[in-house]
Amino acid sequence: MADNRKGFRSTAGSLVLAAVERIMGIIDIPLRGLQKVAGRTGMAAFFLLPNMAVFTIFVLIPFVINFVYSMTGGAQIFLDQRRYVGLDQYRQIFSCTDYLDPNSCIQDGFWIAAGNTAWFVVIQVALMILVSLITAIILNREIVGRSFWRAVFFFPVLLSPVVVGLIWRWILDRQGLLNFILYEAFGSEPFNWLTDRTTAFAATIGVSVWAHMGFYTLILLAGLQAIPKDLYEAAQMDGTSRSRVFRRITLPLLMPNLVVVLVLALIRAVQVFDEVFVLTHGGPGTSTMYLIQYIYETGFASELRNPGLAAAASILMGAVLVVLTLMQMAASRRKEKKGER
Amino acid sequence: MGRITLEKVTKSFGAVKVLHGIDLDIRDGEFIVFVGPSGCGKSTLLRQIAGLDKPTSGDIHIDGKHVNDVPAADRGLAMVFQSYALYPHMSVRQNLAFGLENARMPKAEIESRIAEAARMLEIGEYLDRRPGQLSGGQRQRVAIGRAIVRNPTAFLLDEPLSNLDAELRISMRAELSALHKRLETTMIYVTHDQIEAMTLANRIVVLRKGQIEQVGTPLELYNTPANRFVAGFIGAPSMNFLSGSIAAIGREGTTVTVLGEETLTVPRPADDGMVQQAIAVGVRPQHIRLAGPDQPGISAKVDLVEGLGSETVIHARASTGEPLLAVLAGQHALSSGEDIRLTFDAKDLHLFDEAGLRL
Repeated sequence: MADNRKGFRSTAGSLVLAAVERIMGIIDIPLRGLQKVAGRTGMAAFFLLPNMAVFTIFVLIPFVINFVYSMTGGAQIFLDQRRYVGLDQYRQIFSCTDYLDPNSCIQDGFWIAAGNTAWFVVIQVALMILVSLITAIILNREIVGRSFWRAVFFFPVLLSPVVVGLIWRWILDRQGLLNFILYEAFGSEPFNWLTDRTTAFAATIGVSVWAHMGFYTLILLAGLQAIPKDLYEAAQMDGTSRSRVFRRITLPLLMPNLVVVLVLALIRAVQVFDEVFVLTHGGPGTSTMYLIQYIYETGFASELRNPGLAAAASILMGAVLVVLTLMQMAASRRKEKKGER
Repeated sequence: MGRITLEKVTKSFGAVKVLHGIDLDIRDGEFIVFVGPSGCGKSTLLRQIAGLDKPTSGDIHIDGKHVNDVPAADRGLAMVFQSYALYPHMSVRQNLAFGLENARMPKAEIESRIAEAARMLEIGEYLDRRPGQLSGGQRQRVAIGRAIVRNPTAFLLDEPLSNLDAELRISMRAELSALHKRLETTMIYVTHDQIEAMTLANRIVVLRKGQIEQVGTPLELYNTPANRFVAGFIGAPSMNFLSGSIAAIGREGTTVTVLGEETLTVPRPADDGMVQQAIAVGVRPQHIRLAGPDQPGISAKVDLVEGLGSETVIHARASTGEPLLAVLAGQHALSSGEDIRLTFDAKDLHLFDEAGLRL
């Protein structure tokens, strides 16, 4: 019986193999012809074509269109209905009497959003690195249920940003979970966390740290685990204090990972939008309005929509992201070099 | 001073007992080698002495001081790790200085110690390089240098040569031996390589399954192994063990029959009650020679011949099917499948009872 089954399997296997060979043989004919015409290098380009096509359609062409839009004015959507204005949109953005005072700019919304984003980036990234580092260090220790805790800290990364925003809105709303707990525990009056400028800004930072720290923790945890245990034992034999071990051994050896985390966190923080939009809609007022929200609202949502201005703002933001990406690439290269040594 | 005493030291990891009551007295200035197969507990024992792990029970004394609860850094010991454990982001100089800076030693003193170690180990020209820019041998010297600058009571070396290639290992072995002679400091060296143990040690501690099998000088272990395990572990290639029995016990010694073929009287007494008992007869491959036409001996069939020039290694099988390895001096024109007769002297035989203990 077993022999029969084995025999059937080998027959079926050889039939499938024969079919595959036949199909490959058919495909082979035009490809051989093509190689004769295009040569070996040309074939490489041929196989890259599908990816290049996707990249061109979804990245390159939209980028060029965006750039062209930034040179046009008016509220019309179709390019042929829009008038060419040259660098006017950029000039408008940079028209300020005092760059430190957004209200002195023609496009004050852009500078308010840029200022908010700058503060958000500085505080969120610093907090993100600190929290991720502490979490990674704790998760790297021999604690009970280590794998469980690793999964717990990574879980928010898997959530959709909209879900993150909604969860925290339910928690931070006037009639949300936090006020309920505070009332039950201390009898505190409900506080509107999301309509106070300071707490709303803090909430956007806290929520985005909560949502993304698992990812950075993972990178730092991998870095910590790559540090050989022997080094710590050698330091122990050398009578090194714990703080000195951290400063002189852990931190320098973790630096390549920290640089990668820093740059990735910077890029992501500059792009902050979805969970904050769901959480606060940029409010109260414009206190949590960040650049992407400004671009979105200027281009699509406001009554006086101006796609050209939104395109110019996104080009400027893109330039910042390019600089940050170059930094990340340089950091990765440094890490690779270190790995080779 | 560098006397280290272990009394009934045990170590368990959960339910697994790794060390089973180790008693050992390491003398000041001694080069002692812990040797044994993988998993025998030799590195674990070294870590207990270093203070990197705490014994489950038992006591460790260094120069008479009970150190079970003394942190590793305060035991006055320095350790050289198998992986070198050099700080990769620091220069060689910074690596050497790191431990001394922890002890808040004056800069001038640190510099002088580094200079002395660099001179001794000939690493002066690498002081400003990082470990990644050094070869394996150079890294090993730096690791030893890091231990030397601490001026320790004893050096603990955990398989320090195992990452080096064969040639470098031989030269580093000689350097280590010379270093010990110069420093006259206690050195405890862990290895699974019995040749390293034989060439370096004043005394060897053979470990198996967390227990000491025998402690002695290299030649004591080679000439009078306490049991079958030590006999098989010390010496390369390993000792042959052939089935035999005690034919008689007399004044001249113990008469044994080897493989039922050859009868010899070994000049070693045995218990009268052991007559007719089965024993294992140990003979080192180097002590076997080809028997002359009229000489007594045991018959064997050649399986494989390895001609090494200065000696010929013969893998053979006795008439009972037991494997036999012989290392014959010089070159011999033998071939696979050939029938030969082998012989050995009674004085070179080692007798082990059924429990594996030496008679």
